[in-house]
Parts: sequence; structure tokens; C-alpha cells
Amino acid sequence: MALPNPALSQLPDNYKYGWHDDDAKSLNIAKKGLSAEVVEGISHFKGEPEWMTKLRLKAYRHFEARPMPTWGANLAPIDFQDIYYYIAPTDKAVQSWDDVPDYIRRTYDKLGIPEAEKKYLAGVGGQYDSEVVYHNIRADLEKQGVIFLGTDQALKEYPEIFKEHFGTVIPANDNKLAALNTAVWSGGSFIYVPKGVHVELPLQAYFRINTENMGQFERTLIIADEGSSVHYVEGCTAPAYTTASLHSAVVEIIVKKGARVRYTTIQNWSHNVYNLVTKRAVAYEDAVMEWVDGNLGSRVTMKYPSIYLMGERAHGEVLSIAFAGSDQHQDAGGKIIHAAPNTTSLITSKSISQGTGRTSYRGLIKVYPGCKKSKSTVRCDALILSDEARSDTYPYMEIDEEDVTIGHEATVSKVGSEQLFYLMSRGMTEAEAAAMIVNGFIEPIVKELPMEYAVEMNRLIQLQMEGAVG
Amino acid sequence: MGAEVIEARPLPLDAALIGRISDRQGEADWLRELRRSWLQRALETPFPTGQEEEWRRVSLKDLPRSGDLLEGADFRPELPDSRLADRGVVFTDLAAAAREHADLVQPYLGRGDGVATHAAFWALSLAGWTGGTFLYVPRGLEVDGTLIARITQPRADATFLPHTLVVADEASSVTLMEELVSPDGSPGWFGGTVDIHALPGARVRYANLQRLGDQVWNIGAQRVEVGADATVTTLNTEVGSHVTKLGLDLRMSGKGGTSLLLGLLAAGDDQHIDINSLQDLIADHTTSDLLYLSALYDHARAGFYGVTRVEETARQSSSYQECRNLLLSPNAGAEPIPVLEIKTNDLLRCGHGATAGAIDPIQRFYAESRGLDAGEAERMIVRGFFEQVIAKIPVEPVRTAMLAALAERIGHAEAFDETEVAV
Repeated sequence: MALPNPALSQLPDNYKYGWHDDDAKSLNIAKKGLSAEVVEGISHFKGEPEWMTKLRLKAYRHFEARPMPTWGANLAPIDFQDIYYYIAPTDKAVQSWDDVPDYIRRTYDKLGIPEAEKKYLAGVGGQYDSEVVYHNIRADLEKQGVIFLGTDQALKEYPEIFKEHFGTVIPANDNKLAALNTAVWSGGSFIYVPKGVHVELPLQAYFRINTENMGQFERTLIIADEGSSVHYVEGCTAPAYTTASLHSAVVEIIVKKGARVRYTTIQNWSHNVYNLVTKRAVAYEDAVMEWVDGNLGSRVTMKYPSIYLMGERAHGEVLSIAFAGSDQHQDAGGKIIHAAPNTTSLITSKSISQGTGRTSYRGLIKVYPGCKKSKSTVRCDALILSDEARSDTYPYMEIDEEDVTIGHEATVSKVGSEQLFYLMSRGMTEAEAAAMIVNGFIEPIVKELPMEYAVEMNRLIQLQMEGAVG
Repeated sequence: MGAEVIEARPLPLDAALIGRISDRQGEADWLRELRRSWLQRALETPFPTGQEEEWRRVSLKDLPRSGDLLEGADFRPELPDSRLADRGVVFTDLAAAAREHADLVQPYLGRGDGVATHAAFWALSLAGWTGGTFLYVPRGLEVDGTLIARITQPRADATFLPHTLVVADEASSVTLMEELVSPDGSPGWFGGTVDIHALPGARVRYANLQRLGDQVWNIGAQRVEVGADATVTTLNTEVGSHVTKLGLDLRMSGKGGTSLLLGLLAAGDDQHIDINSLQDLIADHTTSDLLYLSALYDHARAGFYGVTRVEETARQSSSYQECRNLLLSPNAGAEPIPVLEIKTNDLLRCGHGATAGAIDPIQRFYAESRGLDAGEAERMIVRGFFEQVIAKIPVEPVRTAMLAALAERIGHAEAFDETEVAV
């Protein structure tokens, strides 16, 4: 493929990026750092229509113009010029598991992905670096008219529906990091569920970062047409590297009248990753949107899945769980905007901090005037497991309508010595006892996860808890 | 002392102006020096820009800054029992206390950093104060009854920066109620500040009844230092003013200290009441609870941004923060934001709750089914809503004064008769 941009063509054909797997090869090239040339080059390289190139450049200008957020976590160590903005390990996404290159399959095997879940998966969309390398949509989904593709592919194959919805929920100028994503996005999933279609099994995709200093900027767009339903599951794992990496995704979801979408994330990036994600859904009349958001990994996460309740009787839920070990800061939460009458919402947040870890719940409930009979409940519980750990709660509320019922409650506690004593008197070690108490604490959220994820979550908590007490 | 006006614009405050205040009040060198040092801080501390989290909801753009600086209060507080003076209680206006009891005033006046969210206003008040109350209760003395001070801004179209200083010495006990009053009708700036020192083992109950004029901007700040095993309860009842922006800074610096911060807000018209609180739990075995209730009518808005901070050193501490808003008009609004910052895991209890909403229709239906008309039912329910705080005020004169002030907003009703509520 020709490289129209000099910024890209300067690099040697066999350029390597210090891959973790020795035989992993990057078949396409880009260089560190960000400029209008790189943004344009990515777009040209992908062979995108002109409107997307223009949108990317417009977003890049927004990114340049806006200051870094000064609230929340410390983002100062991020050096945007020390990051790769585009790498693709294979030329194109493949349809069959057998076509996935060996080295990528080996890495997935280490994570226990395919064997454990093949039976359950409706389709696999795994993202290895920037490109979707594997997509397998079950035949019956295709028959129902469900589109489940890599986002790049969807832009090529369904340009009209793509253009109609892309960037409508999170515009290019929404915030600095969403602007960055819009400028350099690659990969992600595109889902369209036609009217009245219920996708019975969860659609799943794994994303991972596998290159040192590799920024991953996937872009996911889900459209659930009237009366349809879908559950999308996204899990992230990554091997540990030594220098900081950036993950800045954008997820847009449109839940039309009477539709239902659940989006489940288990984020377990390695502890050098800055995970700065913008996730937002709009829910129309009688629609239901649910974010289930688990944050276990990364060095810093700032992520506040939000729901705009735009139609009467729409319902939004955010279930958030955060676990911060030493040197981690999980700044997570949820935002619900009540913009129509009779809308209801629920935010449940459970956070655990350990070692020198810090968890922050940050959330917003906003009720616009005229949104009568709106109801919202926010419930935040935090567990602090060590002397040096820290927990913060910042629940914002802006209520501009009288006829509403809005409540927020939060508690912070530690693992009680009596609880520990009781369990240890039953023969458990202190670590086992603490893990059991923590698992009980997060039970309300874990029980909402698909079974294999619930098992994985409990296993991760157990791993984290080893050596946490005593 | 009659109210007099120093004919000068308060901003920018300058050395000549505070020198004239010192001259009029016959102040000693130490106090002149203190004012100068706070003037320096005032000049170095910019006004909030609106970018600060605590000031996002209140713009100072329309703060009436051009009124003349007002001197003096026309009310000199008096002790209910002259024998208290014999036993060492000092209860007078701050200017007189600084002249006559410098040994008691000097160690406490203008010490500490003030209220961080209101740093500029704290510094202005400490540099340019005229008026305000001074109360000293000697060691071990328990003062019965309620001491009452009324701080009056006789002309609304002026700037008034009174400062109140309360020192409760070790193991003493006292109740002080301050009432803030000014005329309706013209815009002015009331910048009153309060500094309360509860020394080890002291028990202080401080009630502040704000009934300022309907065009007044009340930019107030209160700082409370709770010593070891001391107990402090403060109550702020906000009824008046056009805009109130109150900063509360509670420092739980002594081991075993206890505090309770109570608030009652009844706002209507286009009133805007916005409160920042910081409950800073510093020492171990401290307890601090906060409960603020707002009833909002017409176009009134209430903002509450309250931080509970539990420091690494505050082991075995306990705190709860609660903010409830009753919205009584489709145009009223509330923004309750209770924040937790917890830096230790060795705590007994920590949490917060915030609500906003209309009267529960079932309550209203019940009350109306008992024969009350809609207005009576609403008044009774609002009164019941406030009961959560009222019940925590053990002091009869304070409770009566608060209820009377609230009735001006929520309406008089037979339901205000305590015995009927009890039935």
C-alpha cells in the first residue's frame, strides 16, 4: 500500500517497536509523537473518506487548544510526543480463528481467552494493538441483521449509518482526551442491532496494549434500534511494561425507544497505563442503559460512564467497582443527566483501596427543569485496607426541578477486626479471610457480571489481596 | 456607640483607612500591627475567580463593592447576670475587649490561617473589622442560660466587616446566639467572620441567626477550633440576604473532640444560599457530624459543597455529613455536594448523605385527609422536615428564636405550636 504521507514513509519497512513477543511483528508503521501530518497520515493510510479526515484534523485542533484537566488524578507524567499513535499488527481483520497469526494466538492463550469462552461467545472481537484482528459473528446474528464489526471496517462497509451516528454522542470537541481519540482513533467495535432484535448472548471483545509506549485509541459505537437489546462485554488485560502507556478510548452508545443496552467493562491494564476514557450513552423513551464498569488495573484511570436520559421513562444505571493497589489511582464514577420527565437512575459504586492506592468516586446527577417525577439514587461504599490507602468521594448534584426524588449516600469503612477474627477462628489465613470479606463487599456488582467474568473477577481480587494484610 | 460610617470605599483597603479605624477605636500597637499584617495578606490574596470548585456556583460579579465602610455596632452585648463578670466572663464588643482585655484577646485574635475557601474575605475582615462580639469564659466556669448578641448593619448600602471571637477556656461551658440584622431595600455587603476557640474540655454552643436585608450580599466565614475532649455545636439559620456565601472551617485538632454542625435554610424569592464546609479531622478519636436542611421556595437556590477530610493522624475517628433539600417550587434548585477525603483506614465510621426532592405526595395526602388545607399541610410538613435539626437544639431561647425567624419564610401555622406537632 502506498504511503501518501512523508511522516509515515520516512520509517524503514521492517521497523520494530520492542515487542514483548519476540516474533510479534508490526506490519505497518508510524512514528512517535503527534502532529497534523500524523493524524492525516493515519486517515489516508486507512483509506478513509474525506469527512473523516477533516473530522480528525478538526479534533486534533481541539486537542491542541484545550488544557489538560487539572482536577482528578495527576496526569503530568503523560508525554504526548512519546507515544505511538498508530500500529497495526496485521493488514486486515480475519473471519476465522484459524487465520489469526500464531504469535497473537499465543498471547491470547496466555490470557486464557479463547478456550475458556468459545462456547459462550456470540462473536469474538479481539484488538491486538490498533487493529481488530479477529471477528467472528455467529451466523444467526447475521441473519437477524445485527452488524458487529471492527469500527474501521464498519466505516468502509456501512458508511451511511456510520456517518449518521459517529460523534453525535461525544462530539470531537467534548473534552481534550475525547478530541485526541477522535483525531487518532483506530479499531474498536461497531454494533448495530436492528429494530426488535434481541441479541441473546453477550457480544464480547478483548482489547490489549502490547507495545511499550503504545497509545491505544479504540472507538466503539453501539446503536440499539427501537425495541432491541444487546449486552456488550469488554475486558482488558495487558502485560507489564516499564514506561507509561496511554489508553484513551471513546465509547458512544445510542439506545433508541424501548431498547436496552448493557455495556460491561473489566479493565485490568498493566500498572503503567494511563486509562483516560470517555463513555457516554443517550437513552430515549422507555429505553434502558446500564454501564457495568470494573476498574482493577492501570496506573491512573479517569472514567465516568454517563447516560443522558432523553426520553420519558428512560432508565439509566451505573454499577462501578474500583480496586486500587499501591501506586494506583482509580478516579471513576458515573454521570446521569435527567433531561426528560419520569426518568429514573441508579448509581452504585464500590471501591477498595490497598497499599498506597487511592480510589475516588466522582459523579454527577443533573436534573433539568421540567423533568418531573425523576428519581435517582446514588450509593457509594468504600473499603480502605491499609493505613496509607486513601478514598475520596465527590458526588455532584444539580437539581433544577422540584418534583423529583434524589438521594445520595456514601460510607467508608475498613475490614473489621472482628470479621477477620471470626473467619480466622474458622481456620482461614488472614489473607483468605480478607479476600472473602472483600468479595462479599463487591458481591452486588460481581453478581451482575457474566459467569466467566465473575469467576475471573473473584480470582483477580484474590491475587490482589495476597499480602494485603498483616 | 452609634453606627458611624468611615467615608471611604472599602476596596482596595489601604493602610491609611485601617489606620483611621485604629485611631477611632483607640487601638494599641499590637492590634495596629496585626491589622497591617492581615492587610498585607488581603492585598496578596485575590478574590475567587469562579474557577474554584467552591465558587463555581456563586459569581462575585455583582457583589456591591462600592458602599462605604461602616464602623461600629450599635449594640453592646450585655451579660444577663452581672455576677458572671465578677467571675471573669468577658462579653462585650470586640473593639472594647481589645482595649480593656488585651491579655485575653491578643493570644487568639487573627491567629491561624482562617478559612481557606474564603481566604480573601477572612483577611479583609481581620484587617478592616469594626464591630463584632468578644466572649471569654474562664477555666471551669459553666455559664447558664444563653448569651445574646445582635450585630446590626444600620445602613444596608454599606460594607460591614464585623469579627466575632469566642474563647471558651478549659472545661468551661457557654451558649452564644448572634443575630445578624440589616434593613431591606438596598444592596450592601456584609462580610462578618467568626472565630471560635474551644479549649480542652470546653463545651460551646454557637447559634447564628442570619436575618440580613433582602438585597444584602453576605460573604461570611466561620472558623472553629475544637480542642481535646471539647464539644462544639454550631447552628446557622439562614433566612435573610440576597446572596449568602458562607464558609465553615472546622478543625478537630484535639484528641477526643466532638462537634456537630447544624444548619437550617429557608429561602425564597430569588435568594441564593451557598455553603462550603470543611470538617478537618486531624486528631485521633474525634467525632464530627454535620446536618444541613434547606426548604426552598420560589426561585431560591441552595448550594452546599462540604468536605469531610480524615487525615492520616485521625485514627478511630467518626464523621457523618448530611444535607437535605426540600424543593417547594418548580423554580427552586439545589446542588448538594458532600465530599469525602479519607486518608486513614483506622476509622470507626465515615459517610455522608444528600437528598433533594419535593414533598412526598403520600405525606401531603395524609395531612390533607386529616382536614388541613394545602397550605397548612405544606407548612406542617416543612416544619416536620426541620424538626430533625430543631430537636437537636436543647436551648429554649435559641430554639424559639430560630422557629420565629423560619416562620417568616415558611409561614405561621398552628402546626408551629410544638404541642400540636407532638400530637
